[in-house]
Amino acid sequence: MDKISKIVDEIYELFKEHGVKRSDIEKRLKLLIFEFKVPEEEARRTVINGLRREFDISRESLRYPLTKISELEPGKWVSVKAKVLQLWNATNASIAQWGIIGDETGTARFVIWAKSGKGKVEENKCYLFEKVVVDEFAGVKSVKVTSISEVKEIDEEIEVSEGGEIEAVGALVSISSNSGLVQVCKNCGRITKAGICKEHGKVETTEVLRLRGVLDDGEKTYDVEFSETTIKSLTDLDLATAKKLAFEHLDRGIVLSELKRKLLGRYLRISGEVRLSTINVKNAEFLRAKVSKEVEKLLAEVKA
Amino acid sequence: MRLRREVARRVFAKEFNDSKFKIGGEAEREPTYVLTPLGLKCNRVFIVGALLEKEETKNEDVLRIRVADPTGSFLGFVGKFDPDAKEALAEIDVPSTVAITAKAKLLQRDERAIPFIRPESIVLSDFETRDYWILETAKATLKRIELMNSDNELAKLAKEKYNTNPEEYREMVIMALQKLREETEITEESEDFDLDSSIEEEIMGLDDIY
Repeated sequence: MDKISKIVDEIYELFKEHGVKRSDIEKRLKLLIFEFKVPEEEARRTVINGLRREFDISRESLRYPLTKISELEPGKWVSVKAKVLQLWNATNASIAQWGIIGDETGTARFVIWAKSGKGKVEENKCYLFEKVVVDEFAGVKSVKVTSISEVKEIDEEIEVSEGGEIEAVGALVSISSNSGLVQVCKNCGRITKAGICKEHGKVETTEVLRLRGVLDDGEKTYDVEFSETTIKSLTDLDLATAKKLAFEHLDRGIVLSELKRKLLGRYLRISGEVRLSTINVKNAEFLRAKVSKEVEKLLAEVKA
Repeated sequence: MRLRREVARRVFAKEFNDSKFKIGGEAEREPTYVLTPLGLKCNRVFIVGALLEKEETKNEDVLRIRVADPTGSFLGFVGKFDPDAKEALAEIDVPSTVAITAKAKLLQRDERAIPFIRPESIVLSDFETRDYWILETAKATLKRIELMNSDNELAKLAKEKYNTNPEEYREMVIMALQKLREETEITEESEDFDLDSSIEEEIMGLDDIY
């Protein structure tokens, strides 16, 4: 029985994007295995082939399963239906096009390599990106279009979610050195070094209080960014007090030290919007768990 | 392509210290992981416990620390390549409750395997946070114990390498939870940890540490 539900799960994973019901798969499998006494492996293959024909899915596309953006995993080959949200200027000759795509589960970057000879996609149109590979840079997932990939425009409107609200609980295990009282470019908000923005050159800068870090629940990590408001709700530190503190110590670094002292290694419950894999934290609080209650529950379970 | 950030695993000292094998680190830029007897593959850990020792070593750039949880203690080395952790450590007295994010390491020499940690950050913490950590780590450990009887690949590998008796670790979890219930503070285990100074030197000389 266990074995059958495993096969059901496996087949369901392959076809779930096509709206196949788990119960339907199970019925087909059981019919073959129990009624017709077909060996399990044979039954598995038969059900897969049957569904493939029914939904008119090529064998190849099963190897590149249609995947939602929120479920993209680095290193996997997949197909993605998404809307092109933004195209950026190609910064080097190996890239034909790049930018941001989105579907109803989130957004990701995409790159069409010049060598692939694929595409000329346009902003605000929807495409099926077939046989693309996923990778990740600086915590941002990216879909790469290579020469074996196919890019087809589709006549479907995709509702793009900017990622939507996400809630997470975990320990703040790392605070980036880009955090604290920092000077950013007035045009783009990037950190400046001696008044120079990487994108805009010598620019006017503005001072902001922010925190970038990693929340980790022991199974997943989340890149998080806290604005002045959320920092204040946790630490009582706001831009004015941070400036004062820095002035008193003649050192902006003191603000980062304060943030680390108050927040690093703490358990937080946060919620916010996901943009390009980073959670822009809107609400944050220190986790208050009913530890003793949970301990009793867990002890009872373990001993049972 | 940047590698995916490694998750900071939750593991009790006893399970971690029973580790004898490393996996990974074969392909270029593939991280190395410590494989625990319960099939946890960890490259990074998050610990909240009692900092019991910080001692200078022969190498003046490196401090040796010991951090205890209800099941035992983690051995750690803090060197100049982790300036944040080193700077923070200077301000922390022993004993104190601390929260540590660290790389998980293991030195294999002759017949002996020495698991240790290399902290990336250390901060003062409190009992409330520690209690939650124990609870969370208990849950994570129980999950791994459950998996030991499945055909999970890491569980199978751990069984093959360690011939693990999951009951031993179930007892450990129960003990840790009971200590939490009694609301006793984590006290120092009289664990005789003698680290031959030549081994310590080797650890210090290891490229692998940094």
